[in-house]
Order: sequence, then structure tokens, then C-alpha cells
Amino acid sequence: MIAFQDPLGQLPPQASTFAADHDALFYFLTWVSIGSFALILGLLTYSCVRWRRKTPDQPAASDVTHNTKLEVVWTLIPAIIVIVVFAWGFKGILPQQIAPADARKYRAEAYTWAWELYHPGATKSAGELWFEVDKPARVELTSRDVLHAFFIPAFRVKRDIVPGFRNQIWFQPTLIGDYTLFCAEYCGDQHSMMHRVVHVVDAATYVKEPWAALPETPEARGEYFFNMKGCLACHGTKADSPDPIGPTFFGIYGRKGRLSDDSEYTADEAYIHESIREPQKKIVKGRAPVMPPFDATSLSEEDVNDIIAWMKTLK
Amino acid sequence: MSHATIVTPTPEGGFQPHTVAHHFKTAEQEFQAAKFAFWLFLVTEVMLFGGLFAAYIYYHGFYPKSFQAGGSLLDWRLGALNTMFLLTSSWTMANGVRCSQLSRRKEMVVWLWWTVVLAGGFMVVKYFEYSGKFHHGIFPFTQVWHPEGHYGEVLAGVAFPKLFFNIYFTMTGIHGLHVLVGMIAIGWLIWRGGQGRFHSGWYIPVDLIGLYWHVVDLIWIFLFPLLYLVP
Amino acid sequence: MTTHAPAHEIPTVEGRREPDYLRVTKGFMSWVTTLDHKRIGLMYLFGVTLAFIVGGIFAMLLRAHLWNPGPDGQMFSPQDYNQLFTLHGAFMVFAFIIPAIPGSIANFALPLLIGAPDVALPKLNLASFYLWLFGTVLLSYSAITNGLDTGWTFYTPWSLKSQTAVLSAGLGVFVIGFSSIFTGLNFLVTMHKMRARGMGWFQMPLFCWAIYASSVLQVLATPVLGITVALLAFEHIYHIGVFDPAEGGDPVLFQHFFWFYSHPAVYIMILPGMGIISEVVSTHSRRPLFGYKLLAFSSIAIAVISFLVWGHHMYTSGQSEFAMQAFSFLTVLVAIPTAIKMWSWVATIWGGSIALTAPMLYAIAFLVIFTIGGLTGVYLAALAIDIHLHDTYFVVAHFHAVMMGSTAIAFFAGVHHWWPKMFGRMYNEKLASIAAIVILTGFMVTFLPQFEMGSQGMPRRYATYSEQWVGYHRASTVGAMILGAGFALMVGYLLHSLIAGRKAKPNEWGGVTLDWKCPTPPNLYNFDDEPIAGKLYDYGPTLKR
Repeated sequence: MIAFQDPLGQLPPQASTFAADHDALFYFLTWVSIGSFALILGLLTYSCVRWRRKTPDQPAASDVTHNTKLEVVWTLIPAIIVIVVFAWGFKGILPQQIAPADARKYRAEAYTWAWELYHPGATKSAGELWFEVDKPARVELTSRDVLHAFFIPAFRVKRDIVPGFRNQIWFQPTLIGDYTLFCAEYCGDQHSMMHRVVHVVDAATYVKEPWAALPETPEARGEYFFNMKGCLACHGTKADSPDPIGPTFFGIYGRKGRLSDDSEYTADEAYIHESIREPQKKIVKGRAPVMPPFDATSLSEEDVNDIIAWMKTLK
Repeated sequence: MSHATIVTPTPEGGFQPHTVAHHFKTAEQEFQAAKFAFWLFLVTEVMLFGGLFAAYIYYHGFYPKSFQAGGSLLDWRLGALNTMFLLTSSWTMANGVRCSQLSRRKEMVVWLWWTVVLAGGFMVVKYFEYSGKFHHGIFPFTQVWHPEGHYGEVLAGVAFPKLFFNIYFTMTGIHGLHVLVGMIAIGWLIWRGGQGRFHSGWYIPVDLIGLYWHVVDLIWIFLFPLLYLVP
Repeated sequence: MTTHAPAHEIPTVEGRREPDYLRVTKGFMSWVTTLDHKRIGLMYLFGVTLAFIVGGIFAMLLRAHLWNPGPDGQMFSPQDYNQLFTLHGAFMVFAFIIPAIPGSIANFALPLLIGAPDVALPKLNLASFYLWLFGTVLLSYSAITNGLDTGWTFYTPWSLKSQTAVLSAGLGVFVIGFSSIFTGLNFLVTMHKMRARGMGWFQMPLFCWAIYASSVLQVLATPVLGITVALLAFEHIYHIGVFDPAEGGDPVLFQHFFWFYSHPAVYIMILPGMGIISEVVSTHSRRPLFGYKLLAFSSIAIAVISFLVWGHHMYTSGQSEFAMQAFSFLTVLVAIPTAIKMWSWVATIWGGSIALTAPMLYAIAFLVIFTIGGLTGVYLAALAIDIHLHDTYFVVAHFHAVMMGSTAIAFFAGVHHWWPKMFGRMYNEKLASIAAIVILTGFMVTFLPQFEMGSQGMPRRYATYSEQWVGYHRASTVGAMILGAGFALMVGYLLHSLIAGRKAKPNEWGGVTLDWKCPTPPNLYNFDDEPIAGKLYDYGPTLKR
């Protein structure tokens, strides 16, 4: 295949086996586009300069209004180009359809507005993804609520996540580094906050299971979970954070108020614990029952305690 | 550009004349334009129901068992009776259109009356079918869903039986709405026809509503086997 | 001017036989109850321009929001940003672009071009306008009360969970859909039954062919939107389950339904624009359109193929390879008739007598931007590339190139081309030329950075973004402000021309189609005498031969 260079420097690093073929087609099209654009712009400019009307009654220079040969040519050339593009693009997508049998099995569960990311064999979800370089990986994609999409630009892969259905995606990372996972299908309020770091690491780092590592202090872990589990979508951390959906966590520990049945509550450890595990049980007056529950596969007892420890520092 | 006003020829005997709209050159042009426009409108109707049929086929492929169970709970004899009502009404409608073209005012009104009566029969049967379903706890469009007795047994264990019934209610409901609109339109034809508005010189409304009625009939011809027989 | 009037007949009103349509009756009621296609066209023109301004203000606000990457230091909350892009899309698509050219320009010019006294069904025409108005009021009501944050595509299940005014907005779209059906149906009947004597199908100006193709799409595709929105409403109120996975429904079916309409709909938007460009390019170059028949057939070809390509919006949804292959192949085929059009326009300009008037400058802006829009469409049709580019800013920039940079600019080219015919007044041509250049510049500054960002993987509909894209976003925001200034200038001088513009010549551009052979502004029923179609695009002798 002809090696087309990147004329405008648009594309992210080539970090998977799919990237090279994708980029070659992309650059091919870019050169075709630049060529056609220059040709059309040139013809237009030339015509406007050469045949610009100078006197009001100046007639047209040419009386040719039809030329079968020319028309056939300008029908056929684009036709050939687009059929090549179609075939090339289709060929490029075929290997993406079926994952190799030895691909490591990951699982990503999306919900508004965060991810539960399960590494091979892990029962507890992690906040970021780690892949071993040059090893194929398969990610099973499910959604708890609305449409999301799994998109890693550096790998040139994307797949919608449809609630009620199982989709999957696979790729083989080829370049060690840190990349970004995006949610690419609009999913509501905090759609743009569903990005996570994707690490491609060597075998030595991978076997250490870096996804299980957490910050050292309970408070730091609490804040880590706050960021990873999507809490920040609805809850602020400052005194003046806007709170259209959920309350700010600033000074939340020990706060008193009324529930929807007008009984009083105090946000002590037991109350916050219950609000994370079974948020629908007690609803603060004036709030909508919209918070998703977090069970033990998502946040262990320890994790919940870490979050409470972190909340205590917010005042 | 101004035209002389064109009035279509009116037969003897209490018929009312028709004035062709100002922007048409001839009565023929007006007739052709109206007819062509109405055919296009019928195409939009077919596309609209086409969407519903597509949804039916899509989910039939997903949940064939649910559709089978749901379909078995519809009474094909009532469906067949309704098919007969509509087919006959298409015939009476066609006779009505023919009479309007021949300026037979009284006969036209009688045929149109028959059409309305048959359409009413269709709606009555539909009413009994719907209320029978409600009676057994199968409500369209609600969270209330508690199939009872025989219904409960048949629907137990199949996936999403509610989906079949919602599609059934949506399709027959929208079709029923079309029947109702048709009845009102034919009622209007009877009223205006009685005044001698339609005759060999001008019968566009009778012709067009006749076409509409045949399409409503045709759609039922597809609905009946799909909902009652195929599952 | 009454060029057709026999010499012995004495013109009565200001040198014309009949008063023009603007003055034939007076008062507010004479306008809101009018059945005259030209007045309805002007009401549409006024209405869609207002919708364009509203949508444009949303656009500038959302671009301003994206000046900073956030989440801190942005103008709005993410929820408000989501509403802004949704309302921008919904207003621009449903209230502006779809009705813009058919409702205003085609309503005004189509009967003139085919030498008819009116459209075939004037009452339906007025009904279409009022349905549009009602639908747009519903959309505005949704915007004012609860807002709308579903994206203009209303994808389920988010649109079922959203707390915003999905129902009233959906009803608005439903109603506007009927308006669109009525317009398309009316034009089809008009072209079939109302052509002037001597005008065969291949003597119709190309604008008519383009409107014909888009009208077919309006009539065939819009009912599917109707039933889709109706099902969405049932789902919303009664939870019937057809689109809700919790009840066994499949959200992807909604996408199939939606795009079965909305993909043809993008051709409902662009085809009339292409038609306008054909007329403008021919008139202002004094050349018959090059390859007339191929141009006419290419419109029909685009309309036919457009029905079979909706699946290319769902390459990433988990379709089978067979479906993807078919959709991709059919999609790239659209590029062929599109390229034919492009080359034909260039060949029409080649060897012409080119007047760089305001309409021509807008048309050239169209040709430049449409080339970009068309070529980037091929990227998105190619499967492997689309997987990467789907739902990124590349897509946003692509469809703005064809919708805003092509359709909207073609619409304005048409407004400038027929303005003297509509009002008998001329705008300031110097200001108009400046505005055209400002708008072209603004477009490039706004959207070229978006192509770049999208290629790098910046997803669309993001209220916040990563620092690496700050420069691109800021350039894009500056461009949006330039565009806003250009359009403000345009609206300014157009309004000014109504009060203080010079009187237009009877045939301002030396056009040869029938629309220039009736008085300026036209009579109530357009022509003084029944027009007879002669040779199409007959500009007389040329320098060669």
C-alpha cells in the first residue's frame, strides 16, 4: 500500500493494530480532497478572473452546454474513487468484528455518568483501564440505563453501548502510554465527564495488577471514589457548588434536615452509608429520587467508610 | 392574467353548480390536481402505517413466542367478521361513488348510508374486543397489567407479552381512528350530497373520500392476518 | 413592466396593467388570510429568518460557553449547555432549514418559474404555513418552560428519562412534519399539473427539478417521522415499551425509524439549495447550465439513494457486517451524483459572462464550502474511518458544511437573487458583497478547527473538554462571532433596502427564465398574459459562433 503521510497532522498516536490501516485510508482521502478542492478553487478563480463581466451586455464566451465525453469522465472518476474507498473501508472494519479467542476479557458497565471497569478475573471494578502492550483485549459492554459509547481515539475503536443488549469491542494495543476513554454517545447532563485514563503498560507492570492499587490514606481514597464513581456529576464539594440534582458534600457530615415524610434526619455515618447503598429509601424533602444505588461489587464496605472519612474533611 | 369564471355543467333537478378555483384553466385541470394530490396523501398514509408494520415485524423477529401467545388470545372470528364488514363497505362506497358520477343523488345517499352503517358495525365489534381485553386485565398503555384467568396462563412465562398487546392496540387504535375519521367524512358527503352538491359535473370529494375508504380497508386487510392469524 | 402588453393597451398603475401583489390588497388581515403563494412565501421568509436568528443566538451562546474547557470558568452549567445545543439543533433543523427554501423561496419562485398563476392547492399552502407556525410556537414553548436536553435526535432511552419538555417539543416536530408534507405534496401537484404551455419536463428550470426531488422525499419520508414521534409520545406517557429496553423494546429501532426519515431529510434540506445555486450560477454567468439532463437526473438519483442509506448513522451500534457493507456502499454512491453537480456548476461558470453580484458571491461561497462538505462526507461513508470519527466534532463540522455552509448560504443566495423580484427594491450591493465574504470567512474560521479536533477524537455534545483542544475551540468561537456579525449585517441591509433601497429594474439580473418575464413585483396572479415556455436558458448569441 502506498504510504500516505499525514498532511495536516490531525490524527492521534497510532496505539493499536487497527490504527495504521485506518490512517492510511484517512490520508489517502485527505490527499484526494486537497487535490479536488484545489482543482475546483483553481477553476473557479480562473473563470472569475478571465470571464468577469466588464460591460453590462457582455455575452458568455462559450456556447458549449453539453459534452458527453467530459460528463462520462467526471461521473466515472469519482465513481472509481468512492468504490475504492468503500472497499478499503469495509476491509478495514472486518478484523474489528471478531475478537481472537485468546483475547483477555474485560467488562465495562456504563451508567449515568460513570463506568464500572472490570479487569480480567477481577470481581471489583476499577477506576481506570490497564492493558498489556501487544496482547489482544476484548471488552464486553453493557449499560445500566441509557445509550453510551466506548471510544478510545488512540485505538481508532468505538462501539455503542445499548441498554438491554450486549455489545463487545476488541483491540490490540501496540504502544505503551496513557490514552483516554471517552463516552461518545450523548447520555445526558454529565456526558462530557465520562472520560477515564487508559494505560497501556508492559508485561512486568501488568502482572502487578495496577488497577487494584489505591491511594494510601482513607481520605484520598474517598476522593478517588468520588471522582471515579461519577458522584461529581450531581454533587459538588464547595460551599457554593450549584446543586440542581444532589446536595454539595461541603459540610455534609452531621448536617440535619427533613425527609420527604417530614421526619428529621442527621447525616451521620449510618445515614450516609444507607444513602450510598439504598439511596431510594430516604429522600430529602424537595429532592427527586434519582440517585443510582452502589452495591458491594462497586464499593466495598471499606470504600464506603473511606468516602465518609473524606466527607468529614469537607468543611 | 385573469380568467373567465368557469362553472362546471350541472344536470337538471336541484343540483348545485360548482365554480372552478381561479388559478385553474379548466375543470379537468382542477380535477386532475385534486386527484393527484389525494393519491400523494394516501402514499403518506401508507408510509405512516408502514412504520408500524416495520415495528411489528421487528419485534415479531425478537419475540416470536410472545407474539404467538398474544395472537392466540385474539378472537380470529371477530377479526373475520370485521374484515367482512369493511370489505362490504368498500363495495357500497364504490357504488356510492359511481352514483355520484351519474348524478343519481338519492341512490348515492343510500349507498353512503350503508357504508356508514357497516363502518359502525366494525367499530362496535372493535369495542367488544377491546373491552373484553380490559375485562381480563389487559390494558393498553398503562402500568396496570394483570392478565387474569386463561389470559394469565397463556401469557405466563413468555417474554414481554405486553409489547405485543401494545403494538396491537397502537395499530388497531390508529386504524380505528382512521375509520372514525372516514365515518365523519362520509357523513359530510351524505349531508352535502343530499343538498345536490355532487353530480356528474363535480364529484371530486366523493371520489377522493372513496379512495381514502378503500385504503383504510386495505390496511385492515394487512392488519387482520398479521395480528390474528400469523402469530 | 408590461412587455407582453399589446401596444394599444394603456397601462394603469405606475406603468403596469395590474397592481402588484404587495399592494393589491391592504391591511394585516389581507396578509394572514392570503392564499397568494408569494405572500405566503414572504410570511415564511420572515418566519424562518426569525427561527434562524433564534437558533443562531443559541449557537453563539454555546460557542461562548466553550471558550474555556471547564468544568470551572464556563458560562453555563453542563445541563444548560446540553439544552443550548439541543435547542440550537431543533430550531435550526425543524423550524429553519427544512422549511426555509421550500417554504419561502420555492413558494415564491416555483410557480413563477413554471409560468403558473399560483400553486395547485393555495389553501393547503396557507395551512402548511400555519402548521409550521404552530409547531415552532410549541418548540419555543418547550424552550421557555422546561427546555429540552435530548439532542435534536431525541434518542431513547435518554429522551424517556429526561425531565425536560420532550412531549411538547415532540408534538412541535410532529406538527412541523405535517407542514413539510403539505408543502412537498403541493409542489409535486403544481409541477405535474400547472406547468405553462410548452413546458415539458425537460424545459423545467433546474430549481424545479431539485424541488421535485426534495418534495418526493418530504411526502415519502416525513410520515415515518410522524409515527416515530407519535410512538415516542406514547412511550413517554404510557410506557408502551417499543423503545424502552426495560419493557423489551430496542433503542436501536428508534434510531432506525428516526434516520429513515432524517437521512432523507438532509437531502430535503440540501437539494433545494442545489437548485437555487443552479439558477443563480446560470443567470449570473449568462450560460445555460452545463449538462442539464445529467443535473436533473442527479437530483432524482440523490433522492432515490437517500432512502437506502439511513443505516450509516449506526455503524457503531453493532450492525451485522452485511448491513454495514450495504449501507456503506450505497452511501458512497451518493458522492457520484453530487460530484456531477459540482462539475456541472464549475463548467457552467467556465466561459461565462460572470457578474460578481451579491447572489453570485453567495453562490461561490456555497461552491467552496459544499466541496468541503461533500468530500468530508466520503470520509464518514467509509466504514473504518467512520468508526473513529462517528460522534466527534468531525461529524459536526461535516454537517455544518452541508447544512449551514451550503443550504443556509444557498438560501441566502436565493434571497438575494429574488429579492428585487419580491419587493421591487434593491439592497446595497457593496454591503451585500462584504457580508458574503465575512460569512465565508466566518465559516472557515468556525469549522476548519472542528474538523481538526474531530480527527483527534474530540467527541461532540461535550459541555467540557480536555485542555489540548482549547486553541481549536477558541478559534471556532471567534469564527462563530464573525458569522454572527456577517448575518447581522445581512439582516440590516436587507431591512434597510425595504425602506430606502433603490427601485429594482424589471429584470435586475437579465434573467431569462419565466420568473423574470412577469412584472416586478408580480401581479396577484403573476403574469399579465398567459406565459408560453420557449427554449430554456436562452441567453442569446455567445462570442464563439
